[in-house]
Amino acid sequence: MKRWIRALSVAAAVGFAASATAADTIVIGHIADLTGPTSAVGKPYADGVQAYADWLNSHGGVNGKKVKLLRSDYAYKIPEALNLYKKFKTVDRVLAIQGWGTGDTEALTKMVGKDKIPYFSASYSAHLTDPKKAPYNFFIAADYSTQLRAGLKYLKDNWNESRKPKIAFIYPDHPYGKAPIPAGKKYAEELGFEIVGEENVGLRAIEATTQLLNLKKNEPDFAWIGGTTPSAAVILKDAKKLGLKTKFLINIWGNDENLFKLAGDAANGALGLQAAAVYGDDVPGMKTIVEVTKGEHQMTHFIRGWVSMMVMAEGLKRADAAGDLTGPGLKKALETLKDFDTGGLTAPITYTADDHRPNLSAKIYEYQGGKMVYKATVELPRRADWLGF
Amino acid sequence: MSVNHCGDFKQTYKDDMRVLQTRFIRFWVYGFVVFLYVFPLIASTYVVSLTNMIGIAVIGALGINIVTGFTGQISLGQGAFLGVGAFSCAFFMNEWGIPFWLAMPMAGLVTAAVGMIFGIPSLRLKGLYLAIATLAAQFILEYLFLHLEGITGGSNGVMFPSPQVGEFVFDTDQSIYYVIITVAVLTTIYTTNLFRSKDGRAFVAVRDHYLSAEIMGIHLFKYRLLSFAISSFIVGIAGSLWGAYTQYITPEHFTIAESINYLAMIIIGGMGSVLGSIYGAIFMTLVPNLLSYGTSVLANVWAGAGDLIMSLKEGIFGLIVVLFLIFEPDGLAHRWKLIKAYWKLYPFSY
Repeated sequence: MKRWIRALSVAAAVGFAASATAADTIVIGHIADLTGPTSAVGKPYADGVQAYADWLNSHGGVNGKKVKLLRSDYAYKIPEALNLYKKFKTVDRVLAIQGWGTGDTEALTKMVGKDKIPYFSASYSAHLTDPKKAPYNFFIAADYSTQLRAGLKYLKDNWNESRKPKIAFIYPDHPYGKAPIPAGKKYAEELGFEIVGEENVGLRAIEATTQLLNLKKNEPDFAWIGGTTPSAAVILKDAKKLGLKTKFLINIWGNDENLFKLAGDAANGALGLQAAAVYGDDVPGMKTIVEVTKGEHQMTHFIRGWVSMMVMAEGLKRADAAGDLTGPGLKKALETLKDFDTGGLTAPITYTADDHRPNLSAKIYEYQGGKMVYKATVELPRRADWLGF
Repeated sequence: MSVNHCGDFKQTYKDDMRVLQTRFIRFWVYGFVVFLYVFPLIASTYVVSLTNMIGIAVIGALGINIVTGFTGQISLGQGAFLGVGAFSCAFFMNEWGIPFWLAMPMAGLVTAAVGMIFGIPSLRLKGLYLAIATLAAQFILEYLFLHLEGITGGSNGVMFPSPQVGEFVFDTDQSIYYVIITVAVLTTIYTTNLFRSKDGRAFVAVRDHYLSAEIMGIHLFKYRLLSFAISSFIVGIAGSLWGAYTQYITPEHFTIAESINYLAMIIIGGMGSVLGSIYGAIFMTLVPNLLSYGTSVLANVWAGAGDLIMSLKEGIFGLIVVLFLIFEPDGLAHRWKLIKAYWKLYPFSY
């Protein structure tokens, strides 16, 4: 035991010495899932974060200061994320952290608040947007509930028949899948949808016929799919097999470039909610990405990772300009962002001291013949009763 | 002052029953306990945080070792029982305003009750069949964590208030360390003594040959259930401490993966051994960390292959566990005994 402790202390000391860097370096922790169950989307996201940091460093950094990104894999395990966080905090003394999943981000919420370390996550849980509960949490996409609401709004706006549209919800019985459902149901009723079904399809499901047969009886016009791309693909394939006429709306982690590979033709006509542009979209910010990645197609998650780091860097620049390059300084700087333009990669980002919702906007893409076709961007009003819900 | 008696010189039963047999052992064990209490003053915060994780794992591993290692009832519901402890402790503190010090044992009792309910099949089932029954417990409880929103906060999870004494709040790594390590020391003492008592011996009898045990007059059902109760109580305490340590709990942590992790701890450390639980907890907590550290150092040096090396980490960990099971199937505790015996007999190995 003692030997272990000594070895560890030495290791920690070495680690500290290695990371004790010059004053012109800003150390940022990065908790990424590169090998765990969500690595299929976690890896491109992490690559996006890394790519922006590298690009930033080669283009003047943060007012001349270099960003040092400590990319670490936690394989989607909460205890490992906790360990990494403690290491970042005490050994590397990071200024801020780029994080990833829902469970770990939430587990760290209280700690980052207490330790005053701004934390960007790829978990878009609505309650992370309420600074009263999560003062140091930030993210760059509309939260899951808002995205679902935006999707519903889009469906309703494009509904031409006189009867009420019928909608069903399909989601995994999993913290991430369940999170936006209450908000979605409430807003669906508000918009005048008729909710005709609710089914659970697990994240690792290999078939969904039972659930879809249940739905088929009620003939929903639309169905929302929560979950990840593999489970969404299963639902689409089985729906095609069973001849459902339903139009599917898939949430942000449930649709990406892999959907064609997994679902084939069954993906045609499905709508996907996105918070960022798709690689190659004609927006000003895409030029740099194409340049950096040398034209090699990147998944949409890469672009969100890129923007996440971009927004953090903007905060760092402002904090540095204000002469307060600390955790609280960064938080304060981020809260001055107003309609910050990400070059069209995402909707403009705004944070205020009592509202960390970056925007209330979602992009809708339609899957057509192997391509993600941009349909619309839905903007919702910044309603106070939606904060944190 | 010798390391161990070289032969049996005990003249009283009292001597024979001593936990710490020689003055040498007593000196080092007491010394170690004292060391544990000054440790956070000399170690860095990061090392203390690792030790906290180990402390919680030690308590949880002791808990599962009672039911699996000592009574021979395989339990795959450990992760969920941790959750029951954590969520009920949070509930008592948040909703009823009960201080942590009372809420923690209450959460233990709740977990014990839940453990007993799922232990009932143990009268009829054993081995793999019981493993499946406890696996069911895992899934049922996971479902409940997600759906009993009033208690667990559903998918959002709940805040876990930090323990408090008067104005002093145990919310730093150093302060919570003392809570964790005290409970870990107490649990170790309790478990060690449990197996010197009538109940503990009954557990071992049930494990080794339940038919013989029954013929000897051991009430099988009672002791199997009791073993589930004691084990779950301790696991519930470990869950509460996990909550106190992380200050925020979500259902995502208390999954089957956590159950398997704990099972691996006692298999690697040594089934049916108190020391084994401790070694296993240390091993399973530290090795992934050392691997992460090693891989990130390597990845920095060898930038191109960074991701490849990082992905290797899980594989290397798996390989270490497999090699362990092949070459040290009785666990680290057994190896430690062999090392001691080797030095005691050195240079005469027979």
